[in-house]
Amino acid sequence: MRPDGLAALPKQALETAVSARSPLTPDLPRQAALARFLKRGFPSTRAEDWKYTDLSAAIDVTRDWLAAGAVSGIPDSLADDAAALTGNIDASWVVVGNGQIVGDLPAESGKDGIVVERLSRAAVEPSIEQPLADLNAALLTDGLHVRVPKGARPSRPLGILYLDQTDEDPLVSLQRAVIDVEAGAQIAVIEYHASKGRGGHYSNTQVELSVGDGGSIDYVRLQNRDRAHSQTQRLGVTLARDSAFRHFALDLGGALTRNDLTIDIAGPGAEARFDGLYIAGDGQHIDNHTRVDHRVGPARSAQEYRGILRGQCRAVWNGKAIVHEGADGTDAVQGNHNLLLSEGAEIDAKPELEIYADDVKCAHGTTVGQLDESALFYLRSRGIGPSDAQRILTHAFAASIVRELPIGRLSDAVNTLIDRRLGDSLAMESA
Amino acid sequence: MLRIQNLTARIGDTEILSGLSLSVEAGEVHAIMGPNGSGKSTLAQVVAGHADYEVTAGSVEFKGQDLLELEPEERAREGVFLGFQYPVEIPGVNNAYLLKAAVNAKREHRGQDEIDAFEFMKLAREKMAMLGMDQKFLSRGVNEGFSGGEKKRNEILQMAMLEPELAILDETDSGLDIDALKAVAGGVNALRSPDRAIVLVTHYQRLLDYVEPDFVHVLSDGRIARSGDKTLALKLEAQGYDWVKEAVGA
Repeated sequence: MRPDGLAALPKQALETAVSARSPLTPDLPRQAALARFLKRGFPSTRAEDWKYTDLSAAIDVTRDWLAAGAVSGIPDSLADDAAALTGNIDASWVVVGNGQIVGDLPAESGKDGIVVERLSRAAVEPSIEQPLADLNAALLTDGLHVRVPKGARPSRPLGILYLDQTDEDPLVSLQRAVIDVEAGAQIAVIEYHASKGRGGHYSNTQVELSVGDGGSIDYVRLQNRDRAHSQTQRLGVTLARDSAFRHFALDLGGALTRNDLTIDIAGPGAEARFDGLYIAGDGQHIDNHTRVDHRVGPARSAQEYRGILRGQCRAVWNGKAIVHEGADGTDAVQGNHNLLLSEGAEIDAKPELEIYADDVKCAHGTTVGQLDESALFYLRSRGIGPSDAQRILTHAFAASIVRELPIGRLSDAVNTLIDRRLGDSLAMESA
Repeated sequence: MLRIQNLTARIGDTEILSGLSLSVEAGEVHAIMGPNGSGKSTLAQVVAGHADYEVTAGSVEFKGQDLLELEPEERAREGVFLGFQYPVEIPGVNNAYLLKAAVNAKREHRGQDEIDAFEFMKLAREKMAMLGMDQKFLSRGVNEGFSGGEKKRNEILQMAMLEPELAILDETDSGLDIDALKAVAGGVNALRSPDRAIVLVTHYQRLLDYVEPDFVHVLSDGRIARSGDKTLALKLEAQGYDWVKEAVGA
């Protein structure tokens, strides 16, 4: 039997670690968060939402890390890695290394500017009551508060690079960002997650995003962590009247990945479009849970997640849409399509619709399949060998969702990441 | 160039070709006609190497080599081209990418370097102009959302780019309006040369008004029931297929 999430908690080490946390972050109610976390523990597979995803590895890393004294310095070599990753994408970058902001924050202000501050200097309420959010709040040492003032429309995207390096020691990195897009403001945000090192690693990321009346955000998250690391990530979005949220999430790395995306449609006229692509290989487990609460109408939400699974791996997609009473005029669409390229690949796909309003339009569709034999033959009849034909069709499956990418300038970088992950350098769209 | 002898093939438990023999030489245009279900498309698919069809007897030689021993892509690189009756839509792969990959696969097979990007574009533009195709088709997904006529023109474009030695066009004329039919016929005629052979698989005589065949064969029950010159097609058009069956049965 696997250890229970609660029984396995190193209570004393956690309490010591929290007490020793820097007083630089007095606004974070650490002790209350810790108390809640100690009461509930890590989510266990007995919970319906965590049925397929076992956090034992994350628990182990956390225990080892606490036992080692919970030190997380920033290795010098991070700067070079960061430059290599950010150099290809034109954005104002903030680098967060092992949970600490590295270097200066972008000093932009004025009419078109954004305000980027350390979370410690901004009074921020604790995040939702959820064990992983509590663990994050209890141990967090640094974080970002991004404010896009009313009507601001910065010309360049804001990039946040989360980079972790572990070498031999276990590492838990805690990451948090609060992003406020005020009324009528528009911004593009790129989140890039990368890690390296041989030590055990667990990262816990919590992002809270609110978009004001008529505001809009294009938000792309690229995750390419080391294939041995574990990660949990939550992005909570609140959308006001006539606001727009366009999102694309790419998951390539990690041994265990769990993403929770929750969207609260709080104002009529809001629109949420979110897509994802996950590519899993041997030993990987990638779980995407999404939840949209349509509290008012009319409003639209549409999501499409695609997965490419090869080798011994497992992916989970659970898309929930709840249309609350009175949210008439809701239009909610969800889709999940998976390509299973090996016997050992497994997908658990579950769309869920709960509808408590009358005038709604909801649709969902999930597919699981292999490459289309007639398309393979068509390509081969043109002289293209079977392995190239398979690769071309696999790319095509990914390309169909990548072309919905909300930040156009990222498409080359995203295609390159996918090409490398699929193991070839063909640039599909550049012929 | 192509020598088919006593070819018998089946799909599942159903025998579709039953001892078909046909010889096609370089420079010739053959039309293969016949009623639905007579085995026309099966013949085209077997020559191209579709795995769903099992050859149970007979032989197919192409330029003196055993074609049945080759994989579909090897047949294509050797110079066999099949124009599909139902071209496959492949969203996410753009047309230019496919054309370039196909051209390069053939060049590599011949020991040539990859085609130069400029040369490729020049060639593609030239062939598209000939077929009355807008250049925007290059950047669209392969056959994605194309009309029936656009798909068929696209098959002819691929053929024109690949310059095969043996082109088998499976019902390329079906579902075309008169302009598309003329464009397709123009593409086929442009490829006619003493070095190439073209096999037109068709249900109707219509295409043959624009591409004049040297030989016409009528398929019935999986074998060639009658062969003749272009006047045979006219007779079929006037009298239908029943008389062929009757003549064979008699």
